[in-house]
Amino acid sequence: MSLLTVDNLSKSFSVAGGMVHAVRDISFAVERGECLAVVGESGSGKTTLANMLLGILSPTSGSIRFDGTELPAKRRASHRRAIQFVQQNPLSSLNAKRSIGASVRLGLDTYQIGERAQRWAKVEDALEEVGLPREMRHRAPSALSGGQRQRVGIARALACDPELVVLDEPTSALDVLVQARVLRLLNDLRTRKKLTYIFITHDLAVVRNVADRVAVFKSGQLVELGETAQIFTAPKHPYTRSLIGAVPVVDDAELDLRNRLAKGT
Amino acid sequence: MSTLLDIQDLRLSFKGLRGITDVLHGISLSIAAGERVALVGESGSGKSVIARIVLGLLQETRSARVSGKVGFDGAEINTMRPRDRAKLRGTEMSMIFQDPTSSLNPTFTIGNQFAEVMRRRDPKLSRAACDARAIEMLTEVSIPNPDRILENYPFQLSGGMNQRVMIAMALVNHPKLLLADEPGTALDVSVQAQTLRLMHDLVEKHGTAVLFISHNLGVVREFADRVYVIYRGNIVEEGPTASVFHNPGHAYTRALMDAVPRITGAGLPEVPEVSDAFLAPMVRHDRGAA
Ligand SMILES: Nc1ncnc2c1ncn2[C@@H]1O[C@H](COP(=O)(O)OP(=O)(O)OP(=O)(O)O)[C@@H](O)[C@H]1O
Ligand SMILES: Nc1ncnc2c1ncn2[C@@H]1O[C@H](COP(=O)(O)OP(=O)(O)OP(=O)(O)O)[C@@H](O)[C@H]1O
Ligand SMILES: [Mg+2]
Ligand SMILES: [Mg+2]
Repeated sequence: MSLLTVDNLSKSFSVAGGMVHAVRDISFAVERGECLAVVGESGSGKTTLANMLLGILSPTSGSIRFDGTELPAKRRASHRRAIQFVQQNPLSSLNAKRSIGASVRLGLDTYQIGERAQRWAKVEDALEEVGLPREMRHRAPSALSGGQRQRVGIARALACDPELVVLDEPTSALDVLVQARVLRLLNDLRTRKKLTYIFITHDLAVVRNVADRVAVFKSGQLVELGETAQIFTAPKHPYTRSLIGAVPVVDDAELDLRNRLAKGT
Repeated sequence: MSTLLDIQDLRLSFKGLRGITDVLHGISLSIAAGERVALVGESGSGKSVIARIVLGLLQETRSARVSGKVGFDGAEINTMRPRDRAKLRGTEMSMIFQDPTSSLNPTFTIGNQFAEVMRRRDPKLSRAACDARAIEMLTEVSIPNPDRILENYPFQLSGGMNQRVMIAMALVNHPKLLLADEPGTALDVSVQAQTLRLMHDLVEKHGTAVLFISHNLGVVREFADRVYVIYRGNIVEEGPTASVFHNPGHAYTRALMDAVPRITGAGLPEVPEVSDAFLAPMVRHDRGAA
């Protein structure tokens, strides 16, 4: 049985001047232990999809099943713990008035994870795992760099012992060295703790190296879903091809691949 | 070419409850009028704080201690009166922040925020004139239905749309210097390429100089004339873009280049341990060499 099954999911918003159909009739399944990348156009509905999976937004229509049960609009605590979110904007997703340590600890307290007396140590462990110094837990979010905040977001989600983690651009604010370290860590944790990832990103080079499968979105629709290697060597949808053809690259082998795809061969 | 931004021996430390943290250890960096300069390097190494010092924001933060020289267009930012610094922001120099959703004001519509920015340069502009110009700029950054967007609040837009709004707002007053902190991260690669090309054309047309902060080395290679590499508050390498990319001289720069994930898919790069070689002296490339 798939860990997550999404059937005919749609979401529309009404805004000044009409309706926005952010997600249109999407169906897919995610297997336990896999890393599914979600890529696509800016504004194509990726974050909206994530918000529905998390129960932050309720779908206009369609259903989401997790581990065999249909998820209700109002989630129980066990489900909120099991599906964690690393948000796209690290600054706005951390409470400015709380130290970052307190933000990480909040999840531990809410879901009663670990002994109360050991929770600060657990918070510091979580920070250390993403490459941040333990004593940083006393700092306010405003006293961190963009990449440091982003790692706090990852630490906070993973500290809650989730089953499924939805990562929305989790490494976009990191230099490539720290990024490689964090991606390796995410990979290790996935194997070690049998986690499942939905990895939303615009960085296709990262996708190529971490994802098992890739879902390509355009204008609220799922236009292609396939194994990572297939998507990068033989994309079927013209939009997928144009996307890969636009990746900024640094070496000649990459340039070759990009040019070949652009020519459609 | 005349020098627009001239930073000499810039130092910064923060005073906190747990003592003093030194962040910048004597940075020198210059940008000529109209030049596109990239600043790349470690997360937490001091890129964004440099931008905030150029804008004169950290000088007004009580816990921050700034020393050194920050020359901008003949004036000295560090010793300027706060209100004179404030006058430069959004007019002579503007900034695209790393986190667009939180740097746009959540309680005002996009249209209101555009008008506020434009009136910093020309207080007498009518709202209709502001809206017309805003729609023009939003169209230039390929925002669909720009007239609808003017009535929206930032939370109603996607991350990438907010970032394009920020870019349009930053360029609307034709500043001499644009500080762009991770301007493309929230955009899909097609829109990113298009937005950067557009930013490139706009700055070229108006002779705008750019300090371009990014972790995306592929984008840097396409966008910048010259590159500075920063590691733990020190510049470790500087030179023309092609030269630095073809011939990285400093151990940190080399490690950085090797760690770029490739679309050809060799797996995640091996990450070297932090080595003493990363603390080696700065490498400077000759101008014009490639
Ligand atoms: N609360 C909202 N009210 C109205 N419209 C919204 C709201 N949230 C999202 N939208 C619209 O829905 C569409 C999809 O937005 P979403 O944030 O899901 O895109 P995305 O794929 O995550 O884009 P990006 O890659 O730029 O982050 C956009 O057109 C956006 O303007
Ligand atoms: N108000 C503050 N108080 C204490 N330390 C601070 C404060 N603001 C920033 N710092 C520290 O200064 C250093 C430089 O921060 P800066 O934001 O410039 O990094 P950056 O190079 O932009 O990193 P990133 O690529 O992650 O955005 C970081 O280590 C950060 O923790
Ligand atoms: Mg998004
Ligand atoms: Mg920064």
